[in-house]
Amino acid sequence: MTKSERNPNVARRTGREPAVSVSVCFYSYFKELSGCERATVTLSRGSTLGELFRKLIEQFPKLGAMQKSTLMAVGLDYEDRNYILQDGDEVSLFPPVQGG
Amino acid sequence: MGFMNRHLLITAEPIDETVLVAQRVLSSGMGAVVYFLGVVRATEEGAQISAIEYEAFQRMAEHQFHLLFDEMEKRWPIESVRLVHRVGLVKVSVPSLWVEVIAPHRGEAFAACQWLIDEMKRVVPIWKKPVEKSE
Repeated sequence: MTKSERNPNVARRTGREPAVSVSVCFYSYFKELSGCERATVTLSRGSTLGELFRKLIEQFPKLGAMQKSTLMAVGLDYEDRNYILQDGDEVSLFPPVQGG
Repeated sequence: MGFMNRHLLITAEPIDETVLVAQRVLSSGMGAVVYFLGVVRATEEGAQISAIEYEAFQRMAEHQFHLLFDEMEKRWPIESVRLVHRVGLVKVSVPSLWVEVIAPHRGEAFAACQWLIDEMKRVVPIWKKPVEKSE
């Protein structure tokens, strides 16, 4: 077994770690801000929801104005920006909710 | 902890209060039935509107409602909660939300109903888009 196989931190530095691919769904007026209902984003392993959001703002700059009020979910649960993304995660982004 | 009956419906169909009231199930130990009807107002942020278009992330909305029901069940001795929320176009003066809570006493029934609606407005992914009056 090589050093890189034993130690995941070494393996990560080699750049051969597989990336994670996540789907992103936009709801409410976030669809207008992004100009689409869904997107697929590829990030390096260990990336957080916050990093995904920064990447989405580069791709869809109008989302930048909503940084402080954006709600984010993975699957059906809310997650904070430190959540580490897993391959295949279904991420949803939306503005504050307004039911009733 | 008792078993709380739950009925949840997120629907594009009109809310029929008569049918909902006729379907009420109430055991002899229950002394309070509180229900709330939310209706679309003719003004939204100062503008005259004709309707509101409701959009839901349906699967997440159902999941989040059930988390709220779980919490209600822990906090109050509720026998039954029923909630219907409209999606799609809802015209002015038409109900968009119907909630009913049944409990032994009015204090817990009012408190639980108020709490559920407040929390719904905080966490359940439903959004509204006002449709401005054309004339």
